[in-house]
Amino acid sequence: MTEISLLVQGLLDGSLYALISVGLTLVYGLLRILHVAHAGFFTLGGYLCVVVTNATGSFPLAILVAIVASGLLGMVIYRLVYHPILRHPPFVALIASIGLFIAMEESFRIIFGEQGVAYIAPPLQITLQMGELFLPISKIIAFVAATTLIGGLGLLAAKTRTGIAWRATVTEPEMASSFGINIINVRYLNFFIGSALAAVAGIIFSLTTNLVEPTSGDVWSYKALAIIVLGGLGSMKGTLIACFALGIIEAYCTTNIIGQIMNRDAIAFAFLIVVLMIRPQGLFTKR
Amino acid sequence: MEHFLDSYEISLVVKAAISVIMALSLNMITGFCGQISLGHAAFQGVGAYTAVILTLQGYNFAFATAGGMISAGTLGFVVGLTSLRVRHDFLAITTMGVAFLFSGIVEQTKALGDTDGISNYPHPEFDPFGYMVMTLTLAVLVLAISIYVQRSWMGTAFKSIADDEDTARLLGIDVARFKLAAFVIGTAIAGMGGSIYAHQTTIIQASDFGFIESITILSMVVFGGVGSIPGVIIAAIILTLFPLWSQVIGDYKLLFYGGLLFIMMRFSPQGLSGLASDAVKWARLERRKVV
Amino acid sequence: MSVLKISDVTARFGGVTALEDVSFDVSRGELLGLIGPNGAGKTTMLRSITGIVRPDSGRIELNGKKLNGLPIHQRVRLGLAISQQLVRPFREMTLLENVTLAAGYKKTRRPLRAILALTRRSNRTRATELLDLVGIENHGGALPAEVPLGVLKRMEVARALALDPTVLLLDEPLSGLNSNEARILADTVVMLNDLNLTVVLIEHNLSEVMRICERLVVLDNGRKIADGTPKQVMEDPFVRTAYLGSVEEKDAAT
Repeated sequence: MTEISLLVQGLLDGSLYALISVGLTLVYGLLRILHVAHAGFFTLGGYLCVVVTNATGSFPLAILVAIVASGLLGMVIYRLVYHPILRHPPFVALIASIGLFIAMEESFRIIFGEQGVAYIAPPLQITLQMGELFLPISKIIAFVAATTLIGGLGLLAAKTRTGIAWRATVTEPEMASSFGINIINVRYLNFFIGSALAAVAGIIFSLTTNLVEPTSGDVWSYKALAIIVLGGLGSMKGTLIACFALGIIEAYCTTNIIGQIMNRDAIAFAFLIVVLMIRPQGLFTKR
Repeated sequence: MEHFLDSYEISLVVKAAISVIMALSLNMITGFCGQISLGHAAFQGVGAYTAVILTLQGYNFAFATAGGMISAGTLGFVVGLTSLRVRHDFLAITTMGVAFLFSGIVEQTKALGDTDGISNYPHPEFDPFGYMVMTLTLAVLVLAISIYVQRSWMGTAFKSIADDEDTARLLGIDVARFKLAAFVIGTAIAGMGGSIYAHQTTIIQASDFGFIESITILSMVVFGGVGSIPGVIIAAIILTLFPLWSQVIGDYKLLFYGGLLFIMMRFSPQGLSGLASDAVKWARLERRKVV
Repeated sequence: MSVLKISDVTARFGGVTALEDVSFDVSRGELLGLIGPNGAGKTTMLRSITGIVRPDSGRIELNGKKLNGLPIHQRVRLGLAISQQLVRPFREMTLLENVTLAAGYKKTRRPLRAILALTRRSNRTRATELLDLVGIENHGGALPAEVPLGVLKRMEVARALALDPTVLLLDEPLSGLNSNEARILADTVVMLNDLNLTVVLIEHNLSEVMRICERLVVLDNGRKIADGTPKQVMEDPFVRTAYLGSVEEKDAAT
């Protein structure tokens, strides 16, 4: 593959990483927790979309169901899992989250079966060809979705009242609450948005691979964690840059000598460790 | 000699003993010294692969185990160095990275058997019962080492580092050196666990020592109560044996793990030892009421 | 013979200059008071000496040995000890265990040394003596969460003393103590100083400072504005302005 096609590949994968990582960064920025279970919503989004499409024949309905259900479940998870344990040291939340993620994956396996699910009639399977580049529509959608949704979020955060309230809560929670901002609602909103975006990523993933398995979320989960650490834990800008950087690095390295020595996941973490050794606080720090 | 245990029960005991060794070794790093490690199974894997390669070369089990400990401890030293540079959440993800680097590199390396792993290697001259006795002996040895370290001034220094490493420095403690010591000791023992594991089975693969396995070991330490030797041992035994005994649970094993971790963190973050000390406190209060 | 030599130390954080070209010497066996209004940079100065803070420029020497660049634990091993303003006890250890750990400094020098050392009776005895010295021997078995701040402050002092330092840095050791406790602790400091322990003391409790310190260095807004005996310093107009400026303005207004 030529340089350009690798670059495009990297950007497209980066988009998917971005859709997942935004939610993780939102949660970390707000609560200082590594929300490992987040990728469960990626998988859930994929499952729901496939299952509902197969059951009703309506892809748009499936998308809606997947996104809303994931968002709501995200809020529930906050209330039941994280809210009660915030007063404990951080490793407690980390381990609870890991336990939750494992339980979610196993639940998918038990409910939907070991083999995974696939579309009966896969939607949007067109592949565009530009020169020697083969661009599946789903990956283009990933890029468009990532840029518009995340860009839209950024605008909302900057311009609307809700957005400003949100930013205040992230940077100065006590002051924000003394201004009458309901911190808890902001947290619910964060979990809703983050989980919904993860579901969008899961939906796009299901279009790309036409198979959603219980462990589909694994790779994305672990890499997303590496990404937000790389980006600087809590810095949205850092996260987004790290997403695309990782996408491109993976695209290049899997095809060269490094890809001979280690597989894709290892490349991601090797990249992470190298960067952390040079800059222990990640690419960008929070403020 | 008539053995009162059949080979299935023997294998259970061996598995439990290996889990205890692994959990105690992680307890040294995470429990005593407060350094979170999400990649501990990778050191077991390094020990296992090294030991197996050595036995394939014709070395005996003891030598191979020693080799496994040295290679695991060396990698532990390197990872320990990275731990000096990064803190808390960064450390958690870095150690997670170690787990994936191990799998990712081993699975791409032909000499190490790619994803198929290594099989057909020589096993030591023990019969199953003898192997069990040996494993139990080593587990007791690791227990003795754990207790000794905890009681020694090294354990006290570790405790201060886990509590507040900045203040520990102000008391003249070379925090970096002690953290490295914790990593080296803990990972070398994990390497031993790897060799024992490898030689009671017929094939080893990188996937036997992946992230989920690391989390499983960590869950034993956390479930038992971070730093508590008896808690960790009990947790290791329960978490290893319970799913194996019950076939029903067996299929739901991971769900059980996940749920257990989450419930324990939600209701008793100090694990079993926390529950035990709460029970003692409650009993004392009750006794006072009666009097 | 100066045991501690501070030369042109400057420290900046963000946009704030906490210390600017501060220089002073401390002689062996001296009881030096480091005073000044809030935010003058006194705590930053002590933290620069111990190495918690890395100054942007300047030189710090202990017994002629340059401390710049040395990690904290090595400076402590060279004879420095600090009792901090914001107490940092080890929360999972009793007060006695806190001080015992410090008293065992010889055993914690190296991991290899530490793993071979099991006994702690002599260190515990020493720790008990020190808790007694600062007046909190009754609280030895308590956890930090169970005792008032005044007790924790004194434990910090005992813990620092357990390191057998040649130079003891005390950052507001008397705050949190009632006047009786403060006087007793101040007397204890004087007694230790008479035994040739060099002490650098930050304190807002000016009556005690005037009573026990042989010499004062005054900081204001990061700069040294006076250096001399308590009497000299208190008569210095710059010092009076720095401390009492607002009072004089009030006087002028009425």
